[in-house]
Amino acid sequence: MAARTDGIAATAPPAPGPRRDAAPGSGAPARAAAPPWYLVAVTLASTCVIVGLLWDISWHRTIGRDAFLTPAHVAIYLGALIAGTACGWLALATTFAGSAAERAAGVRFWGFRAPLGAWVCIWGSFAMLTSAPFDNWWHNAYGLDVEILSPPHAVLGLGMIGIQVGAMLMVLAHQNRHGAAGGLLRWMYIYCAGVALLMAATTVFEFTGFANQMHGSLFYRVAAIVYPAFLIAPARAGKLRGSATAIALVYMGLTLAMVWILPLFPATARLAPIYHPVTRMVPPTFPLLLVVPAVLFDLILRRGEGRPEWRLALVMGPLFVLALLAVQWPFAEFLLSPAARNPLFAADQWDYNYRPGAWQHEYWHLDRGAGGAWSAAKFWSGIAIATGTAIVTSWIGLVRGRWMKAVQR
Amino acid sequence: MALAVAASTAEAHVGSPDTWFEGTAGAYPIRVVVRAPGVVPGRAEITVRVLEGTPRRVTVQPYVWDAGSGGAPPADVALPVPGDRQLYSVNLWLMVAGSYGVHVHVSGDRGEGMTVVPVQATATQRLPMDRGLTLILLALTLFLVLGLVTIVGAAVRDGVLPPGEPPGPSGIRRGRLAMAGTALLLGVALFGGRTWWNAVDRAHAEEIYRPFHAVASVVDSAGAHWVRFTIDDPRWGGRRWTPLLPDHGKLMHLFLTRVPDLDAIAHLHPVARDSTSFESRLPAIPEGRYRAFADIVQESGFAHTMTAELDLDGRVAPPRGSKPDSRSDPDDSWFVGAAAADSSAPRFRIDDGAVVTWDRGPGPLVEGRERPLRFRVTEPDGAPATLEPYLGMVAHAVVERLDGEVFAHLHPVGTVSMASQMALTMRTPADSVPGSLGRRMSEHAMHEPASMPEAEGGAFSIPYAFPRSGRYRIWVQVRHRGAVRTAAFDATVEPRPAS
Repeated sequence: MAARTDGIAATAPPAPGPRRDAAPGSGAPARAAAPPWYLVAVTLASTCVIVGLLWDISWHRTIGRDAFLTPAHVAIYLGALIAGTACGWLALATTFAGSAAERAAGVRFWGFRAPLGAWVCIWGSFAMLTSAPFDNWWHNAYGLDVEILSPPHAVLGLGMIGIQVGAMLMVLAHQNRHGAAGGLLRWMYIYCAGVALLMAATTVFEFTGFANQMHGSLFYRVAAIVYPAFLIAPARAGKLRGSATAIALVYMGLTLAMVWILPLFPATARLAPIYHPVTRMVPPTFPLLLVVPAVLFDLILRRGEGRPEWRLALVMGPLFVLALLAVQWPFAEFLLSPAARNPLFAADQWDYNYRPGAWQHEYWHLDRGAGGAWSAAKFWSGIAIATGTAIVTSWIGLVRGRWMKAVQR
Repeated sequence: MALAVAASTAEAHVGSPDTWFEGTAGAYPIRVVVRAPGVVPGRAEITVRVLEGTPRRVTVQPYVWDAGSGGAPPADVALPVPGDRQLYSVNLWLMVAGSYGVHVHVSGDRGEGMTVVPVQATATQRLPMDRGLTLILLALTLFLVLGLVTIVGAAVRDGVLPPGEPPGPSGIRRGRLAMAGTALLLGVALFGGRTWWNAVDRAHAEEIYRPFHAVASVVDSAGAHWVRFTIDDPRWGGRRWTPLLPDHGKLMHLFLTRVPDLDAIAHLHPVARDSTSFESRLPAIPEGRYRAFADIVQESGFAHTMTAELDLDGRVAPPRGSKPDSRSDPDDSWFVGAAAADSSAPRFRIDDGAVVTWDRGPGPLVEGRERPLRFRVTEPDGAPATLEPYLGMVAHAVVERLDGEVFAHLHPVGTVSMASQMALTMRTPADSVPGSLGRRMSEHAMHEPASMPEAEGGAFSIPYAFPRSGRYRIWVQVRHRGAVRTAAFDATVEPRPAS
């Protein structure tokens, strides 16, 4: 890989300020250790977006009252602003002030040149911008948000994912060009991939977020759509021995940080009806134990290198569903027990407007037969669908991962 | 963004979704207007005008009927409207569909005062997207689609090439294929998004408030003709149902208005024959087609107006001018005749010679613009008339647009139902069994009958704003010299000026 690159200084897009001439072959490890400003900027933007999003969900569950300038919204806007302006500036600087080598390190977009990830970030910022008037109209037409998933939120979510994927691609291209010299970049890349995974998990929070859902096949079907691809693709391009494990740990770590930090802040509901008074910010639910399937993915990726992707997918898909079943099924039992109702596991935390009831400690979306009783046949057929889905998404992840491994720009 | 209301209905009343209340909070006479958001959850605009006294602080707290004020956040401070020291305003959220109470608290030179204003939170509108926004969103969508197609093409064509290396023919081909595939995928995604949006729209349309379906008919029983009003809606008695409460002592107020000229009105109080049917003796009104509007109040405080049509043929219609000896409720009343013509100060001479004057004030009536309906009743010699209570009120008014799209039953307290207000005031957390609150309210009413607000010099005022433009008929009913008297007025309401 390193033999195909011209060195970091020659391929990196320009920094702001006086124009630097290309210096092929001058990519000394000492310089390489400090990531360029725009990588720091997009990583920060990606963090702002995900922290703002989790904060905003907590805000809706705790305080309820929405406004344009809530702190959580400001964090999200800041993320879009940093990503949009940093990458916009980078595109202009590369196109109009960059050296030939700098321009060569980018890709073309309507006559402009910039790193691939920068275009994805800019696209994400525009998607978020587009969602704003759409969401405003949506609120006027159908009422304020009562659920995460709505068409304007889907556009917003795509924009957020765009920023996170763009940041990941920008760091990835640098990492790939860097070869063995980019220690910090490897970790930055893993971090960005973990943020993207957390973003994906948040978009399906209503289906996979609660322990109450983990004994129904719907949980596994939705998980199979999302998680294999978001773990396998970036892991295959990672430079760590256990990239998937590290990505899963970033996802879990960031979630746990929010789980433990948010409730430190006192807050009360500001909307009626309040059926369940809250006194502190409601945290996200405990993260999924994705580290377990991730460890298995790492093992297979290491040992299966060079084997056909479809064969690997045939192993990884079922393994994902079985591993998730093996850990989440009993973990759900624990999370629904009184033992988990503490600040560490943050179980049994509910929105202010939920009517208390037995449902809080029951399983939802159970696979029931015609008589209403739990149906093993229905459950296992759901699991079979989840397994088939996981095979497909694992294959997609492997193919995407192969491409990501080769990304240079 | 301009709001274009495509369809509008309302809960209590028809086509008149805002809440108007005039009463007292302690020693402060106040007028409260709650402008409905049209969607739920949505933000209602609440304004409080303190009519007398010097307020220092006005707070407002909406609460859901079954959660009570204990299930509501602390009250919000309403801010004074610049340039008007007596007017306070705040926007607050109504989060669930159903009955709300709004606590209004005033403190100032007259001490502390509080009252409850009942509000119905319902979705009442579908909002089309205006052309400007449509174009903006289409342009942004096109930009996003073309942008993403371009990015994917660049990623496949150039993304994995070492810097500076031009793409080969196969790379260019792969890039084009990827662009075509992405365009196809985005097309499918946009189609899926449209389907999703349509599904949300349909679900919202289902949530738009629809009054219970009902039919009106004339039946013969015990040698007499009866108007029967039957609620034949499957939601009646369903999950959200709560028992009925008497409002002004009656379970139902039924209004019959003769179309197309609105030249006859009956205000009846049918009694329940069974759980869905209500009957009242047919009054002496002429044959023809009638609109029927039935007001009821549920224990939740939610007030409904149901509508139906009634054909009264010559077989059952009593002869015009026949004696009103057929009333089944002593408070039933009806009126047949023309209205005072539309003018700046119309006068209507009622059947005992007294005169009802509508002091309309200067300028035209304008859609959505606050204009209290002020009336004066004078004896034939010009002296102020003494009005007796009619159903616990100094007066009742009925407002109907000629096409029936707007109908409101008003009192000097405004559009609110007194039963709703009492239900929301008296409810305690112990009232979890349906019917228990109604029983307590009935006992309370027996021991402490409602006192009628004073009508100084035969004058009274009703807070209101005509919600839509058009031609209206307004009937005003008062009890004078032992009988209910009705005056009728015509009015034209002009459209809201374009801003």
